[in-house]
Amino acid sequence: MNSDRVFAIAWLLLSAAAAWVATGFTAEFSYEPVGPRAFPLLLCVLMALCSIWLLLFPGPKVAWPERGGAFRLAVMVAALLAYALVFQWLGFAIATALLTIVLGRLFGGGWMACVATGAVMGISLFFLFDRWLEVTLPIGTLIEGLL
Amino acid sequence: MSAFEHLLHGFGIASQWSNLLVAAIGAFIGTLVGMLPGLGPINGVAILLPLAYAMKLPPETALILLAAVYMGCEYGGRISSILLNVPGDAGAIMTAIDGYPMARKGLAGVALSISAWSSFVGSVIATIGLVIFAPVLADWAVAFGPAEYCALMVFAIACLAGMVGDKPVRTLLAALIGLTLATVGVDANSGVYRFTFDNVHLSDGIQFIVVVIGFFSVSELMLMLEQHTETGQQLVKNTGRMMFNAREAAQTWWCTVRSSVIGFFVGVLPGAGATIASAITYMTEKRIYGSQGTFGHGDIRGVAAPEAANNASATGSFVPMLTLGVPGSGTTAVMMGALTLYNITPGPMLFTQQPDIVWGLIASLFIGNVMLLVLNIPLVNLFARALSTPMWMLVPAIAAISAIGVYAVHATTFDLVLMTVLGVFGYILRKMDFPMSALILGFVLGEMLEQNLRRALSISNGDVAVLWSSPISAGLLLASVTMLVAPFVVRRLRGIRRQVA
Repeated sequence: MNSDRVFAIAWLLLSAAAAWVATGFTAEFSYEPVGPRAFPLLLCVLMALCSIWLLLFPGPKVAWPERGGAFRLAVMVAALLAYALVFQWLGFAIATALLTIVLGRLFGGGWMACVATGAVMGISLFFLFDRWLEVTLPIGTLIEGLL
Repeated sequence: MSAFEHLLHGFGIASQWSNLLVAAIGAFIGTLVGMLPGLGPINGVAILLPLAYAMKLPPETALILLAAVYMGCEYGGRISSILLNVPGDAGAIMTAIDGYPMARKGLAGVALSISAWSSFVGSVIATIGLVIFAPVLADWAVAFGPAEYCALMVFAIACLAGMVGDKPVRTLLAALIGLTLATVGVDANSGVYRFTFDNVHLSDGIQFIVVVIGFFSVSELMLMLEQHTETGQQLVKNTGRMMFNAREAAQTWWCTVRSSVIGFFVGVLPGAGATIASAITYMTEKRIYGSQGTFGHGDIRGVAAPEAANNASATGSFVPMLTLGVPGSGTTAVMMGALTLYNITPGPMLFTQQPDIVWGLIASLFIGNVMLLVLNIPLVNLFARALSTPMWMLVPAIAAISAIGVYAVHATTFDLVLMTVLGVFGYILRKMDFPMSALILGFVLGEMLEQNLRRALSISNGDVAVLWSSPISAGLLLASVTMLVAPFVVRRLRGIRRQVA
């Protein structure tokens, strides 16, 4: 099916769900004629109308990546999620080094080159931002435990 | 105080050593980011904004940094257009048409220097335009009430939908998604939690920085991976004459000035940015010179015109942002978000309440452009060398710096996860041709639009007619409807004409 149609149906359902949630936005005391409910409801209605339009008049076919490309994208997203989850545990430097290796490999870097870049990047960015520019980054609970 | 005195005061602020340093760094990074294919001003500003905020730069310094990055990108985009035939950012698409053929003829140095010069002229003319028009517009807008503001914001969104042309419904839906994302969190007036699903991290809303980085950095990296191929484009060596001569300068002068003026006014319109400005001026010059020119085969005017226009329109897009609080481009939408991070409400009062920020920024545009001219003529080969940085080094660096910016806001893992999720969502939307600039405009304007709407209806005690009762709001709403309907009518008319022919 045309991806516009899929998106339109999904968004229509989502707008309906959001509208249902939004009907519960009532204030106990109201000082104004328009409460917290009206604006989100209005947006949901407008989004639903746009979705219906897309459903009726979908655009041209979208060139989604083929299987290999989709797999590589999935690896990238998984790497970013894993990065987020281990960020505080492993600390910025190690997490970033690991992320660099995965992303570097995805973009065709050699193993040794990626490992070396990862190590340099993790350490140098940590010192640049945490120590020099005073943007606090996690050292890592794992490493703090070891020390 | 007159505008001139204000400007002198602004120069005092912009020439403090920290602001000069920040402008130079911004100009350098901007040129680099603009040059790299795939990364444009909106990505550059999005990635640097959280860092500026995390480093606790004062608001005027942060804004000067972001403005320098924005300008730098408009300069930098041309380098890869000319040397690689791959536009570095959307504003430089037209530059490749004549720039690359010039480089193939051995005139790369001339193309690079004349385009840097016309970028400079474009920026300076537009900054002068900013000094002249912005205070006038701000004075006029001070009288705006909540109803007029609502109409103005609706107009900005409609403008974007109409300008992007063939897909108004997509643009509208993107803006609505942005507006809806902005409603997440506690409602300031009533204390009701909206769409938070009892999640503590969402109670004060989705962080602006997380949205910006997710939609403009993470999704960009995904697109880069999808388009990544092993074989790169051939880089043309920049040899031979480095500087344009007097004859070439004279040949391009009027077309540069003309394009700068057009570019400025296109930039002032909300929604129409550098891409449209450079396309319009390229077509105009091509039509003016007609058979005298060699457009498409390395005409020097075909390089000067779009470069002057994209810089002028970038500068022009500061006008609605500073005077009305309604951004003129996706990039200024992000910058406006930066102001709200500092609890500064953009709008007509900015000129009277925050003269340091406004005039410091304007003065820094003059200074920054001189720096950029220096960076982009003598040092252009240094940048050209950076074009051979491999993607496998660049992408992890962008990912890590983006994560630093997001983490710096609240120091939570939740924001990093949300960034990735929004990035995937942004990737899907971009693949389906939803304009991200509309989404970010909606997100930035969301709270203001709702607050003004509710305020207007409170004043009128619930009477909806207040929204279109004043001539200004009625006019703006009428213009919005025209903007939305016009593309359909034009297309219909064209269809009829084609049938008749």
